[in-house]
Amino acid sequence: DGLVNFHRHYRSRPTHGIGKYKHLLPKEVPKRKRDRLQMKEINVGTEHEYGDINIQMTSYDMCLVEHFAQYVHKLCNQLSIRVNESYAMPTKTNEVLFMEERGSKMQVDAVLTTHQRVVQISRLSSTFAPILLEIIQSSQPEGVHLLMKEHTETDFKSRLKSRPELEELLAQVS
Amino acid sequence: MLAAARGLRAQPKKKKKVDPKREQAQKDRVKKKIKKLEKAAPELIPIEDFETPLKFSDSNRVRSLPPLSFEETERRVLLMKKWSLYKQQQDKAEKEAIRSLVEAQQEALKELRLESEELYQAAVRRDEELFPFERDGPNYTPPLPGYDPPEGKCIDITKVYTQ
Repeated sequence: DGLVNFHRHYRSRPTHGIGKYKHLLPKEVPKRKRDRLQMKEINVGTEHEYGDINIQMTSYDMCLVEHFAQYVHKLCNQLSIRVNESYAMPTKTNEVLFMEERGSKMQVDAVLTTHQRVVQISRLSSTFAPILLEIIQSSQPEGVHLLMKEHTETDFKSRLKSRPELEELLAQVS
Repeated sequence: MLAAARGLRAQPKKKKKVDPKREQAQKDRVKKKIKKLEKAAPELIPIEDFETPLKFSDSNRVRSLPPLSFEETERRVLLMKKWSLYKQQQDKAEKEAIRSLVEAQQEALKELRLESEELYQAAVRRDEELFPFERDGPNYTPPLPGYDPPEGKCIDITKVYTQ
């Protein structure tokens, strides 16, 4: 039927604005590219909850460390531990040289790439922490180095690119 | 004498006016540059693991596999079923282990509470020495005792990214 129009706004009628809902939704903060950091949690002892903990898994074997990271993430999901982030740290490349037996020349032996994956969890209860540690340790694969530490700003900054010009200028000012 | 005094007066005074002005102007310029650089958001270092090297994006090389026989497909399906059953048992065992650990812990804490409230409170508090926690994975072949490795060194050739 062509009689009913839906595009006109009858501003004098009391039904003006019927159907509006966006003003009822909570304000969504636009996510800046800076990756909101500093989600510091209560680290009080009597609250028996740890703050942000980083589970860092390092290895030369990329597939192994990725699968282990996936396993840890799934485990935390199953145990209803909040996982803040699960990211990869930049890859480090090392060139291994060794000295030949007869001679003084350094021989290139291998080029090794070290991969690191991080799973960040928070609100871990103090009674459950040793159990989680035990489970993760029992399923730790060969060659994967596990490190669990608290999340700090330096850890976050190590993921960002260095800005030498900015640092130079800041040094000049101070 | 008058000419000498005029000469002194005519000399432009370099020290009082121009130097602080120049310094101020320099500082302003530096601060402006800093502001401009700080406006740009810091970027994350790109991870080389997630970038496929170009030589693998060549679509000319396509593998053509031969068709599998019936026995082979059957064998594979049955193997997959056995593997999934094995994994399920493994997962169940793990869940059971977690459950029993938590149960035992809760029972112990209950008993401790009945014994003394103070000790219970101290036990429930979080452990500061737990983190940082480090552990090396198990090895297929443990290091040989008395092995004399050849001399050498490791050089870090990671690419450094700057913004």
